[in-house]
Amino acid sequence: MADPRIIKEKIFLVTIFALTILGILPVFHVLAEVIIKGSEAIAKHGLGILTSTSNGILASLVGSAILSILASLLGIPLAIAAGLFVAEFSDTKLAKITRVVSRSLLEVPTVLLGMLVYIIMVVPMGSFSLLAGAIALALVMLPYVMVHVEQAIESVPPIYREAGYSIGMTRAEVLLGVVAGIARRGIATGVLMGFAKAMGETAPLLFTIGAARTTLPCSHSIPLANVLDPGDAVPLMIFQYAQMPQKMYHDMAWAGSLILVAAFLAVFIAVRLLVKEVKT
Amino acid sequence: MERDAVRTENLNVWIHGKHVLKNINFRAAVSAITVIMGPSGSGKSTLLRSINRLIEIVPGTKVEGKVYIFGRDIYSDDPYRVRRYVTMVSQTPNPFPHMSIYENVAIGPKLHRLVRSKEELDKIVRWALEKAMLWDEVKDRLNDPPTRLSGGQQQRLCLARALALKPRILLLDEPTANIDPVNARKIEEAIKMLVKEEGITVIFVTHTPAQAVRVADFIAFIYNGELVEYGPAREIALNPRHRLTEMYLRGEIG
Ligand SMILES: Nc1ncnc2c1ncn2[C@@H]1O[C@H](COP(=O)(O)OP(=O)(O)OP(=O)(O)O)[C@@H](O)[C@H]1O
Ligand SMILES: [Mg+2]
Repeated sequence: MADPRIIKEKIFLVTIFALTILGILPVFHVLAEVIIKGSEAIAKHGLGILTSTSNGILASLVGSAILSILASLLGIPLAIAAGLFVAEFSDTKLAKITRVVSRSLLEVPTVLLGMLVYIIMVVPMGSFSLLAGAIALALVMLPYVMVHVEQAIESVPPIYREAGYSIGMTRAEVLLGVVAGIARRGIATGVLMGFAKAMGETAPLLFTIGAARTTLPCSHSIPLANVLDPGDAVPLMIFQYAQMPQKMYHDMAWAGSLILVAAFLAVFIAVRLLVKEVKT
Repeated sequence: MERDAVRTENLNVWIHGKHVLKNINFRAAVSAITVIMGPSGSGKSTLLRSINRLIEIVPGTKVEGKVYIFGRDIYSDDPYRVRRYVTMVSQTPNPFPHMSIYENVAIGPKLHRLVRSKEELDKIVRWALEKAMLWDEVKDRLNDPPTRLSGGQQQRLCLARALALKPRILLLDEPTANIDPVNARKIEEAIKMLVKEEGITVIFVTHTPAQAVRVADFIAFIYNGELVEYGPAREIALNPRHRLTEMYLRGEIG
């Protein structure tokens, strides 16, 4: 007669295993679907589907690239700074307020963030722009990255702070040189999560970038000023093209999905490889 | 010239309202090992951490009274400056896990600009590792992370990190509590040599009477936040004046 505890253990392991498979299957299904449909679309229409603005999605790709850089520049440094501040000075009033505000921002439907930027920026400037979209995306990113940075910092055991102080480090040296250094993997992961979340968003872009799908943002002679032009983004393009009746639009949406997924994977893998885990 | 490297005057410490140190008048002689001995929770770590003002990094602490180091009142000085010449090794080995073995030792001299060139830095790192009796074990793997070292080696690395600043006073909070006896003896040896060769003043916290007797020149016995007895190690060990000290040495309390 087998030991009932061992039988229970077996049942437990089989259940966990089965549920895990069940959980990851849809993910692989979606990935496979995107890869297959995306490559079919590119094979059928040629690379022109990516490199043309009239019969392709070039404007969306360019727009997404600009948005991701701009939103990251605006959102990530601020989020890291705020996360460090809130974790380090957690009993100050400002930190407590910042924490509540960031947690609330996390719950705000992202379409409202788009509306907000529409009201405070698009209307006064009289034009949609990539910059407006980037600000909306930065607002999406901000609380996510902040919360992750905060948690990464708080998870560093206090013995390392003590070590820093006991050799005469200042508070800034301990925070930046020791604590943030130990938490670097957690911080990098948080930044990636926020980045991915923002870059997959459609809603904040609806009222901000103008979905300029057939022109590139290049009306200004100073290159940087072109961020004030309207533009497009891949998720927005997918969202709108998927609703069109013609097959050609669907193919462009699939091609865009493939590029989006590939870009995400590239960024993720690069960051994971560059930022090494710190074992404690 | 002060004979005492460290002297406290009616030192009182409260942590979250709890009176942890009561009117402590403690001394540590220059170039000697003073052991702070006492049962768990008696306030040994708190006393040690009052001497380098590390106590202040915990919110909710209140310190009253004076701490003089070579005659200077440190509570009217900059805490970061104090910790530059009064360094500490904690109870749990805590080498910086994101730095290499070399960087762990080099970080102090680099931050405090004690060196001008890479050669000087290399020299100081080697000196500190030798003094901590770790050099031979790590000289071929200076770029490894410290997490690849054993607990005892990690603790000696922490000792080297504290020594690299060439401190005048070294605070040790049960540095051998979490490591094996062989490593513990190595640390004890290293510390005795440091006092003899470099003239460093050492304050050593322990809760084991046997270790206290092995390393101490002077012993301070703390019980329940009060300094019960203080004197030369032999006197305290052979004829303690106070009944509590005697009981503690016999292992009846603690
Ligand atoms: N952060 C803290 N919060 C509340 N109480 C504290 C804190 N740190 C220390 N104490 C209290 O102060 C007293 C002395 O603590 P301390 O750590 O100095 O003792 P110790 O003699 O070093 O003990 P051990 O041998 O266990 O390390 C204890 O009663 C402890 O409960
Ligand atoms: Mg202690």
